[in-house]
Amino acid sequence: MAEQVLTIRQALNSALHQAMADDDTIICIGEDIAENGGVFKVTEGLSGKFGAERMIDTPISETAFVGMGVGAAMTGLKPVVELMFCDFAGVCFDQIMNQAAKAQFLSNGRLKLPLVIRTTMGAGDGSGAMHSASLHSLFASIAGLTVVCPSNPADAAGLLKAAIRYDGPVIFMENKQLYDFEGPVVAGLPEISLGKARTIREGTDITIVAASAMGHRALAAVETLGTNGISAEVIDPRTIKPLDVGAIVDSVEKTGRLLVVDEGTAFAGFADAVIAAVSAQAFGSLRCAPMKLCPPDTPVPYAPAAELRWLPDSADIVEAATNMTEA
Amino acid sequence: MLGSCRGRTMNEVALKQYQSCWFIRSFEKAIAVQARAGNVPGLVHLSTGSEVADILLGQQLDPTRDHVTGSHRSHGLALACGADPVAVAKEILGREGGLSDGLAGTQHLLAPETGFLTSNGIVGAQVPLAAGGALSANTAAVGGIGVAVFGDGAANQGAVLETMNLAATLNLPMLFVMYNNGMAQTTAAVDATSGSYCARAESFGLTAWSADSDAYTDCLKTLRDAVTYTRLGSPAFVEVTVSRDHGHYFGDEERSEFPPSKAMACFAKWLSEQGVKDQLLNTARCAAEKDAAAAVAAAASAPFAAANALSPWLGVQGGTDG
Repeated sequence: MAEQVLTIRQALNSALHQAMADDDTIICIGEDIAENGGVFKVTEGLSGKFGAERMIDTPISETAFVGMGVGAAMTGLKPVVELMFCDFAGVCFDQIMNQAAKAQFLSNGRLKLPLVIRTTMGAGDGSGAMHSASLHSLFASIAGLTVVCPSNPADAAGLLKAAIRYDGPVIFMENKQLYDFEGPVVAGLPEISLGKARTIREGTDITIVAASAMGHRALAAVETLGTNGISAEVIDPRTIKPLDVGAIVDSVEKTGRLLVVDEGTAFAGFADAVIAAVSAQAFGSLRCAPMKLCPPDTPVPYAPAAELRWLPDSADIVEAATNMTEA
Repeated sequence: MLGSCRGRTMNEVALKQYQSCWFIRSFEKAIAVQARAGNVPGLVHLSTGSEVADILLGQQLDPTRDHVTGSHRSHGLALACGADPVAVAKEILGREGGLSDGLAGTQHLLAPETGFLTSNGIVGAQVPLAAGGALSANTAAVGGIGVAVFGDGAANQGAVLETMNLAATLNLPMLFVMYNNGMAQTTAAVDATSGSYCARAESFGLTAWSADSDAYTDCLKTLRDAVTYTRLGSPAFVEVTVSRDHGHYFGDEERSEFPPSKAMACFAKWLSEQGVKDQLLNTARCAAEKDAAAAVAAAASAPFAAANALSPWLGVQGGTDG
């Protein structure tokens, strides 16, 4: 099929256009999303096409509008709620943790909850401690939530379509640093199944698991590692939960080494979950201790040099992978 | 609902409502007996004292197009909306065949087929959910409304205040019904709330009413007017004065100096004044007591939900369960 090159922002926008045209129960709810097209311009043009009844601008009241999205999902609509930054989950966490996540269980499956909460993650643009966090681990620790972190335009569009069609609540995390990242997409933006990882580089010496922006840093590191004679395999989990443990285990059984690079929390985070799952299922295949590279256990710093130091970069990945393969 | 009672006199309709109120009171009494006997897994928050408000509100609503959410103290409201009493009792008692097969319990009653979407374990959290019900009703354009029922304690939650503003700015067909029972857990409303509830709602642009459930006709008219107004497409607020005849939870007898609810006695007195004979009142009450006792007894004789009630939920998120 025909391919074109889009940015992640454009791919998400196109996916929303297509989904809303196909299903008139899909509505969008959030701050500045209608006329303004969203602060990251992901919803641009939707209001002109679908009108104010389906593109709902709200007051700065995350608890009320996330909760309204949950209630609307319980009663027949398919809301796509934009939570501008995942840090803002702090002001509406009850509606995410207790209401969205638990409703299907509490109904024992009688209720569907086709809710997508689109939000952003990712440090690196000087936004400071309260507009830069990557809270995928936090969301993933709550039973009932599906968590998606796409890294390229085709995945972003395909996974968003799947998330909208899914019967349960999905936290869809867009990395602020990747909105302008370009990549090929197939015409029609085919849906991509939730819960499926993708091997973005094949290799034989070490498995690197890295989602969202960290996948790009891992790919950059792989080039350097290759010139040093180390063949690294890179897996983009794409969906944080449910995690495609099988794909990661298969890779580790081949390479014998696991490095998880993640922008989430350094303690009890996504990297720890991957390491625990692989240790439990493929311990005998591990030739050295599995490792993780995460930011330090501090909030995201503001000053550019400090923020640069805070995020794992490709040099850190090269160093860690080299140490592991030499051990 | 009353409009659909053609062929029945006002007194007949009211007598039936009176019987329904007694059904809720007797149901809660039977649940209390089960709780005292240790047959309830956790604590229960009984709705004894708000029966008249529950029934009069429930009868204004239409299960085919309205969406109602309630608080942790919503056994009576769920019944008033038409939830199956045996299934409600089984859920409260954690039994097989409960609304959610015992997985949810007393604070999370879901009977969406009746319009009673959910009650809630978090004070005030049900209110934004009802805004979603109102949004869906608005989109469906069949004259449905969202109704959030919450207490005076929840009135101080940001979720409630945010939702009043949101409902007003979006002009949602949403009715906020605040039961004022004078107590937020163990703190008196007068010690916890500044200003007037109705004035708050009005300041957000909502039309606001207040009513006392001790006054049957006034409470009925107010709720009917508020639902009718909301159905025309705008948000509204009603403060209904009710009682709470137990502590915060059953067995918590703090503040027992509060006088017991008068609403049922006032309702009976009003019916007598309309010429309904005492014998009919007694017959209605006895029938309700018998029916409620039978429903709770049926639930109590059912087995507790087994551990495998959880089975359908294991592994649904990637087999990462222990």
